[in-house]
Amino acid sequence: MIEVRLFATFRDGREKILYLDGNDYLHAADVLKYLGIGNGDVAILLINGRHSKPEKDVHDGDIIALFPPVGGG
Amino acid sequence: MTETLSLYFRPSGVVDLRYQRQILMPEIGKDGQDKLQKARVLVVGAGGLGSPVLTYLTAAGIGHITIVDYDIVTESNLNRQFLYGTEDIGKAKVLVAAEKLRALNADVKITIVSDKINSANSLDIIRGIDVVVDCVDSVAARLIVNSACLIQNIPLVEGGVCQFYGYVMSICRDSACLCCIDYRQEEQQAYTPVIGCTAGVIGSLQANECLKILLNIGEPLFSKMLTYDGLRNSFDIVELKKDDQCGECHKEQTKIFTK
Repeated sequence: MIEVRLFATFRDGREKILYLDGNDYLHAADVLKYLGIGNGDVAILLINGRHSKPEKDVHDGDIIALFPPVGGG
Repeated sequence: MTETLSLYFRPSGVVDLRYQRQILMPEIGKDGQDKLQKARVLVVGAGGLGSPVLTYLTAAGIGHITIVDYDIVTESNLNRQFLYGTEDIGKAKVLVAAEKLRALNADVKITIVSDKINSANSLDIIRGIDVVVDCVDSVAARLIVNSACLIQNIPLVEGGVCQFYGYVMSICRDSACLCCIDYRQEEQQAYTPVIGCTAGVIGSLQANECLKILLNIGEPLFSKMLTYDGLRNSFDIVELKKDDQCGECHKEQTKIFTK
């Protein structure tokens, strides 16, 4: 399974954590598409704690963390 | 119930009870208070995050605080920027903030820089500082501060808010930085939606983080992002990996190598 952790406004209308079958998703972009999140809406995309691009491959056991911009001061 | 007194003396020899409650804490004590008194902290941005950061650091007795902000107080600031009141609308934030903070604690030396931090002035502004606390409201400014702190080898406490959400992380040369995690924003909203209490939570955590780093206590959030969800009552910690190919960290290493 791929564990997807959503933060801030990405949680609105979704769960905080989702578990997806790794066989159904080739790239992080496929996960974003499933979630209805545009690539441009993501401020930080981490796979196993390391920054990644949407075109990065994803596999069972990966932990994906997605953050929208939270840049107010 | 009788309270145990832990006496702290001003240089004049007069007993100072201002810091009594925190000197009672084993992590601080008189030695820790002396460290705070000798510390130099830079706070970039005197807005929603800057208000609690500046207030708590001033109250804690940091020796020298420098405030950087170029903005003036507007009515839309007042839902969260509690250093300012209705009568301050139209005044320079740094001037009002310095006045309020000096009234809170005259022991603290307050220096103001009424300017926008940019790549040309950032290195001069942060030179000689012990910890930088970043309270700005744009990704571009955050990346400038991130870069300057790496070059000057100064710990940085980062924080951001939006709506009921926020995050805090600390950055040093050995940790992941904002560029390591490719922090970016395609289009920044002109006005970030935020409620004052969320800025209060995150700003308080930033002040706490700054004190931990200055006192070398606890577990600073280096290579960790502490996220806050005020709607769902949760704090989460996200582990961050340092990127060996990071342009900013690599740039900093190159500068050292060529010195």
